[in-house]
Amino acid sequence: MKKKQMMRQLGRFGLILLIAAIGLGGNTGCKSKKKLAREQAAAEYAARVEQATRDLTSILNDQTDWTLDQKETRFNTIKSWNLQDEEVLRLLDLVEDKLARERAEAERKAEEERLRRVEDERQRAEAARYAPIENHFIAVAGAPDFNSSNERIAQALQLFATPDVPVLIIISQAGGFNDYDRPTTIRKYLDYLKDQKAYSNRIEQVKYDANGKIIELELIKK
Amino acid sequence: MKKKYLILTILVGLFTTNTVFAQDHISPERKQAIDSLALEKVRDLSKYISIVGSKSTPWSEANRVIDRAEELFMQGAEIGVSSIASPTINYYSVRKYLERLMRLNYDRVEIEWFKIEYVSDLQRQPDGTYVGVITIFQKFRGFDSEGGIVYEDTTRKDITVYVKRKETQIGGRIIGFWDVLLGDMRVKETSR
Repeated sequence: MKKKQMMRQLGRFGLILLIAAIGLGGNTGCKSKKKLAREQAAAEYAARVEQATRDLTSILNDQTDWTLDQKETRFNTIKSWNLQDEEVLRLLDLVEDKLARERAEAERKAEEERLRRVEDERQRAEAARYAPIENHFIAVAGAPDFNSSNERIAQALQLFATPDVPVLIIISQAGGFNDYDRPTTIRKYLDYLKDQKAYSNRIEQVKYDANGKIIELELIKK
Repeated sequence: MKKKYLILTILVGLFTTNTVFAQDHISPERKQAIDSLALEKVRDLSKYISIVGSKSTPWSEANRVIDRAEELFMQGAEIGVSSIASPTINYYSVRKYLERLMRLNYDRVEIEWFKIEYVSDLQRQPDGTYVGVITIFQKFRGFDSEGGIVYEDTTRKDITVYVKRKETQIGGRIIGFWDVLLGDMRVKETSR
């Protein structure tokens, strides 16, 4: 009887031991998973720090072939990671400044390009407008002999109020300031084209009188 | 009233300073344009000399071109003439030189200028004039009626150029221009 009772108690003790062992064992497994997750997160963070440092350094040293837009996208992505690494934060500051400068430069160039296109367009329109006058100049310069060029000069002079109409030739333009060659007259200018056999200017401005005759001509060196 | 005068004086002062500054300190781009302008005047002269020297140029055209060529020079400027036959260099006024050239006793004349370049860059002088020296090489060939060369030489000549900023009024506005004038044309060497 006593033996039977002892056996039952032993069984209970064993069961308690088993439960305790299971409980203890399960807790240890849970702790390992958290640790693993922590380690994984730390590794991911380290990888991002490394990636961020590498990309930001490359941008800073112009070692990428990315466009400015791509560089800005990359910068914003890295910034969104909120990495609290001291080196990454320092690089982010430097790259932000660099990209701001590059953006300003790109916008300046784009504006210059736009203005250049506008100016080209204006010049094309002006050239088309003054083509009939310029054709006379080209014809005088290209005439094969004195007689033909004199005939061309006579035709060209029909466009002008008098043979003494002033001709101004701009040799350089800077800051809204024109530098001119010594002013001449249309008669002398046409003779000049005949002698030099070349027309190397373009018309900048023409002033007309009430009869549609030219009273002042402004040329610019090409 | 005093205040008004003071403001006016300051404005006049600023305007004057600005004008002087604009002439004293010209940008490299403007300087380059002036350099090119002076070189262009020498090239123009080269063409005029070749027209005047050409026997196919009508007399009236040659005389007109002499007038144009003369306008390129300062008053009293002289041009040197040399020959391989003599060490003497004779100097003539521009008009005289061109008239002699027009009457040279050849059936055909070819005059070609090449290597036209600065030997001394335009430098600003105290009076505001820019002065420089341009050198040219002139190849001269005189032919007889059969087309044979009677005389030929190559001469290096130095031309002093003077460039001065001037102003004139055209159509009611003041035009600032660079007046290029050529000075003496000195013979430096003559060879066959």
